[in-house]
Amino acid sequence: MAAETKKPPALRTPRQALNKKPGSRTGDLARKISSSSVLWLLVVVYGFPTLWFVMSSFKPAGELFSYPLTFFPSRFTLDGYAEAWTKFDFAGYFVNTLIVAVGATLLTVVASAAAGYALAKYQSWWLKIFAVCIIATTMLPGETILAPLFVVVRDLGLYNNLAGVIVPAVITATGTFMFRQFFVTVPNDLLEAARIDGSGEVSTFIRIMLPLAKPIIMTLAIFSFQWRWNDYLWPLIILNDPNEFTLQIGVASIIGAQNINWSVLLGASVMSMIPLVAIYLIFQKYVMSADMNAGLKD
Amino acid sequence: MGISAFARKGRLSTLAVGVVATLALSACGSGSDGGDGDVKSITFWYSTNAQDKGYTDLAAEFEAKEGIKVEIVNIPNDGYKDKLKQAAQANELPDSGSVPALDPLWVNQVQDLSSIANNEANKINKDLITVQDGKVLAIPSDITAAGLYINKSLFDKAKVEYPTDPANTWTWDEFLAATAKVKAATSAKYELVYDNSPARIRSWVYTHGGKGFQLGPDNKFAQPDAATVTALEGFKAINDDKVMPKSVWTSGADPSALFKSGQVVAYYSGVWQVADFADGITEFEWAAAPTPAQPVHATDINLGGLVTAFNGDKAEAAKKWVDFLFQPANYTKLAQTNGYLPIEQGLDLKYPFEKQAALDAFALYNKEIELADPISPSGQAAQTTLLLAGKPAAEDPTKVEMAKFINGEQDVNATVKNIVDGWNVQLN
Amino acid sequence: MVDTAVAQPRKRRKLNSYVGAPLLFIIVNLTLFCLFFVWPAVIGLGYSFTSYTGIGDAPFVGGDNYARLMDDPAFWAALWRSVIYTATVVPLSVVAALGTAYLLVSPYTKGKGFARVIFFLPWLISPIIAGVIWRWLFGENFGLVNFIITELGFDAVPWQSNADLSLMVVIIAAVWGSTAFNMLLFVAALKNVPVSYYEAADLDGAGAWQKFRSITLPAIAPTTFIVVLLSTLHAMKEYSLIVAVNAGGPGTANNLIVQYIYQTGFRKAQIGYASAASFVLLLILMIIALIQMLANRRKES
Repeated sequence: MAAETKKPPALRTPRQALNKKPGSRTGDLARKISSSSVLWLLVVVYGFPTLWFVMSSFKPAGELFSYPLTFFPSRFTLDGYAEAWTKFDFAGYFVNTLIVAVGATLLTVVASAAAGYALAKYQSWWLKIFAVCIIATTMLPGETILAPLFVVVRDLGLYNNLAGVIVPAVITATGTFMFRQFFVTVPNDLLEAARIDGSGEVSTFIRIMLPLAKPIIMTLAIFSFQWRWNDYLWPLIILNDPNEFTLQIGVASIIGAQNINWSVLLGASVMSMIPLVAIYLIFQKYVMSADMNAGLKD
Repeated sequence: MGISAFARKGRLSTLAVGVVATLALSACGSGSDGGDGDVKSITFWYSTNAQDKGYTDLAAEFEAKEGIKVEIVNIPNDGYKDKLKQAAQANELPDSGSVPALDPLWVNQVQDLSSIANNEANKINKDLITVQDGKVLAIPSDITAAGLYINKSLFDKAKVEYPTDPANTWTWDEFLAATAKVKAATSAKYELVYDNSPARIRSWVYTHGGKGFQLGPDNKFAQPDAATVTALEGFKAINDDKVMPKSVWTSGADPSALFKSGQVVAYYSGVWQVADFADGITEFEWAAAPTPAQPVHATDINLGGLVTAFNGDKAEAAKKWVDFLFQPANYTKLAQTNGYLPIEQGLDLKYPFEKQAALDAFALYNKEIELADPISPSGQAAQTTLLLAGKPAAEDPTKVEMAKFINGEQDVNATVKNIVDGWNVQLN
Repeated sequence: MVDTAVAQPRKRRKLNSYVGAPLLFIIVNLTLFCLFFVWPAVIGLGYSFTSYTGIGDAPFVGGDNYARLMDDPAFWAALWRSVIYTATVVPLSVVAALGTAYLLVSPYTKGKGFARVIFFLPWLISPIIAGVIWRWLFGENFGLVNFIITELGFDAVPWQSNADLSLMVVIIAAVWGSTAFNMLLFVAALKNVPVSYYEAADLDGAGAWQKFRSITLPAIAPTTFIVVLLSTLHAMKEYSLIVAVNAGGPGTANNLIVQYIYQTGFRKAQIGYASAASFVLLLILMIIALIQMLANRRKES
């Protein structure tokens, strides 16, 4: 079996990998039931803590920590949400965060795709070193380079500017390696064929390779969006003008030196998560319906 | 790929256009920098997680009077010190602010506020202002102190009495006897929870007759007195998962949440809890009680924000604003609206709380601070001294070392030694 | 921006040694790397040889910070605790992520749309909220799990005062929170496995497990590698979650390496010492990464 599966017919017509309709063989129903049961068990395990969090956001402040523990609010209230909404300029901060997240995500995807492609499809000693360098960016604790990084960003004139939040965040080891690992699986034949046809390297990348990587683009976009959406300390330090503050700065202002206004914090947190879920659902649909994969394996 | 792929591409490009449009639009919105040639507006940074009405109200009055707009910026507490540090490096400090602590990095950039602090009309408590070489660097916006809260419902249910007048307070032994009785008579699980903070352990030590960890004249910490060591041992002894749950001091459990559960008889915390409890406790009755004295009636007086005026190019306007804040009539409004224990003496404050328990609590705390032993503000004073000596000491080692002690990782002598060394290593 | 450079690599193509094109592809990342990593990191590395406190001069002390670090048992204890944490959390989160991803792309499961959101949400929840959630569940005093255990007539479990149990709670929380990230990487990889492989296996009458082992796993190996590598680096640097769940407690028993660096270094204004510790951590992580990369290369070839 192994021998056969190793040599699939080259360049087959695209087809859904696992989404093909299950046949009518006898085991299918049993498999459906068992797979779905496992899935639903996991849903309960993963969802339970989250559900408690969401339910708590509808509890009045006095009920949050009362004992015995309750799961559902005895009195359903939106007070926490209302207070969070009026506590700071939610809409304005929201727009700022959107700019940061969208801008950084676009740049991140472009930079990571190009670099990942280079690391996967070209061989040279300096590319290998560069790959290690990129991984090294994840290795220092944040505070170690916080102050020096601030000096750099200030010297580049990016202080008190949304660009100062966006630009340093563009480089990401995760993104670069996601693309590298993907392009490694794309057969070199495809690249060679394009070269024989006289296609330039850059144009091959943009016309042939990038469209293939759509699931990776979408997945990285989800990641990048979430990262930038939840950034806190860096935007706080870089931005001075409250009109440029981002959402997490607002959310953090609910956490005081001595105590935390839990009901407001829970409401604000739920609200700040909604756009991320929306982005995820939209982008994930593209990943799930990606149909250009089959037959590209070497 | 056919039609479906094409359709997807169409949707994608719509998305891209939308994104670019959003970017362009917002870039226009945030580009302006507010061109103020002469002083039309100043900035005031401060941090609160409650309402900021106290300052915004005064800012409106100030603008009406002086024609200078005060832009109040609420900086989250987490990261505020970092932000000030970096802003100083970028030459972008605010014009004025209420800061969590002064920093040797920028302390040379604050103005002398002595004309305000020494103005007899203001009656500012001069023990608590930050002075260097006759220069007043900061005036606290308010003061804080230790506060004891009891679950009144449980006390009533158990028919146990508790004192209400700080002048006739109880000892720790009497207090713990009372809570033990309450716990036995009700379904409560613990007698007490106690904030995990160096300030709170200081008042424990002071009230037990110890002097705590004090800064010597050589700007070094010395071995504390025997009463302090005994007090620390006594504190460990009540962290027995019977009187107090161990988890608060050893693994970061939230004492406020535990008290709010209604299963804990009393909570030793700070005065600021009043505002939170006024709204946040509805399932039982609570009350503020005098803090125990064994035999010393002390607390740990700390400062709220430190109000400063920086000497940037709007120095004059900034100082005018700070002066305005501390004029007794204005400060009264600020203290009332923000629920501050005042730094100015002799004010007649009417706090806007609806709950009687909250009003009683504030009356009680103001009285307690008057009665407090002179040692009470020494913890914050030591920090100020170090700072003015140019030592950026940031971390009080007490919390971590006490956690190790209570967790059984070291004995009391090692704990005391590590706290002293932990301080001194930072002063080198 | 990209099209202008097309001509150059075309000429070089005949030499069969591409320099211009790959350089162009990495130029953005290379520039950002130098500006926002190398430059600050070199300043930080410089601090590690000084007794800098954050203000004023930074007196040169040579390798003193490094020598002090080697002698500090708390540093080694924290490092060891981090290794234990990583060695537990990485396999668990890889299995959890691959399992959920597999179920989400499987044609045999019902309710994928809903499940997809449920698995995703924990990743969005900030550490401070995650801390409350997990203390609410595993709190020693009033936690839900202990509530159920005592209602059933058993003794309460010391989830917070026992060091190993306390670490276990953090591990559960970490797996719960990081599944979505790794799961999305696996989903993208699984969608990329050519269907023809499965068809060939179907003709052979291979079972589900057989197909998973001999087709799916090898096909997604490049992604598995990156998931393992990134998870390892991330787990070794865990900080905010452990602070939120148990503050590195009980006592200092579960202080992980980054918490050690912050508490004994940066928070006490010992920038030089903290920087030295950071670069030792970088060195250790670099060794781990290189070993994983070499092992992977051997497997790839």
